[in-house]
Amino acid sequence: MARIDDGVHRNGGFEINVDGTVVSVAAGETVATALLAAGRVSLRRDGRDGPRGLYCNMGTCCECMVVLVSDDARRLVRACLTDTTPGMIVSTTTQDD
Amino acid sequence: MDRPDVLVVGAGLTGCATGWHLARQGASVLIVDQGDVSAGASGQNAGSLHFQIERRFLEHGEALADQASRVVALNRLAIAEWRGLEEMLGAHLEVTLAGGLMVAETADELALLERKCRREAHYEIATELIDGDRARAIAPYLSDRVLAASWLADEGHANPRLVTPAFASAAQAFGAEIRVHTRVVAIDDIDGGFCVTLATAGRVRTVTVRQVLVAAGAWTAAVGALANLHLPVLPAGLTMSATQRAHVFMPHLIQHVGRRLSMKQTESGNVLIGGGWASRLYQDGKGAFDLSRPPALRPENLRENLRAAADVVPALAELALLRCWTGTVALTPDQLPIVGEVPRKPGFYVCAGGSGFTLGPVFARALAAALGGTANDEHLALFSPARFEHLNSFMG
Repeated sequence: MARIDDGVHRNGGFEINVDGTVVSVAAGETVATALLAAGRVSLRRDGRDGPRGLYCNMGTCCECMVVLVSDDARRLVRACLTDTTPGMIVSTTTQDD
Repeated sequence: MDRPDVLVVGAGLTGCATGWHLARQGASVLIVDQGDVSAGASGQNAGSLHFQIERRFLEHGEALADQASRVVALNRLAIAEWRGLEEMLGAHLEVTLAGGLMVAETADELALLERKCRREAHYEIATELIDGDRARAIAPYLSDRVLAASWLADEGHANPRLVTPAFASAAQAFGAEIRVHTRVVAIDDIDGGFCVTLATAGRVRTVTVRQVLVAAGAWTAAVGALANLHLPVLPAGLTMSATQRAHVFMPHLIQHVGRRLSMKQTESGNVLIGGGWASRLYQDGKGAFDLSRPPALRPENLRENLRAAADVVPALAELALLRCWTGTVALTPDQLPIVGEVPRKPGFYVCAGGSGFTLGPVFARALAAALGGTANDEHLALFSPARFEHLNSFMG
């Protein structure tokens, strides 16, 4: 399935940080959208070493849990239900720790 | 398959496992379920393999505790059954038997624990009463609030979402047929057996069988009614929760003697928390419970469940709750399962009512022996439907 780019305008861009990499996102996009746009489809390996990632995109499956890192806290959130904000720091590698 | 030897109503753990044993013995078996394989309590439960006397048996006084405790006579068989299950089925079922602790936080709870251990000794269950420090030596993640615990080295857990499908596949491999989304709409007596009417997506057909096994969990009473029998099995809604995955730190089954709490950590790292907190059954508007819907979560019960969990294992407070779900279990008037042939209706068997995950494999083996005519009935005698035969004096 090809990504639809024609006629798509991602406006009001800003940057967030995902696992140390700068990712450009558009205003109104969720963290899940930003991860997809950045090519971050697989978020972990499961017990059979298969890739797991965003599945339902509606808050039910909890396969898109990521950690929001701030100065005073690390908060586990569902990427699909969380809006991006400028300068947000997202970690996808530490959710199991 | 219009004339199978045995019709099993309910594709849960007991139904699929009994079907597997029967098919291995050479019987032709048809298993039907109104939903899917393992869709009811077999798949909704949290997978405890508990062999200590359950807390719920202890909270209604000594007389009822004596009565209900008799079920643990089966536990040594169940332990052996679970130890061999993965090899028997050739499947990884996440069976872990690394031991279980039932904890006490107060002096009163400790006294309850002592009485429980004496009862277990009577049934030759090798429970050991230990103080809080020894409990923490076994399970360093336990809170300082834990005053004492009873330790049983054989307890553990398995993954319900793997177990019943594995039994179902094994049954099919031996020729059993499983029809899902198939309801039983009539059960009529005929010479030498039963004529059972089944409906699948509006298509109705009949099968003629020698024997019927009803292993339908909370729906058992309704299936019994189709055969004009009272099967005293009552539904109850429960609550389960799963945390996010964490590194594996809790290899044991943890229960509480004085508070409703049962928890274990799955192979993938999620901690499953339950222990008998009610959810609310829906009503059907005609004076009965609507079992077609999962019971409604009661947030106040969830809160207390999680509070008990974090009191006993403080590290849980740091984990996010991923999801909660409810399920419907089946209870009987004397808290003992009802397992065996209904005296008033030869050939009509039932298995329902409590500890169905832990004891299901044992019941299945005994039921298959009974259905196949090779029964050594001693294991089932205590649970026979005969004890409720007075309810069927005017039925059948």
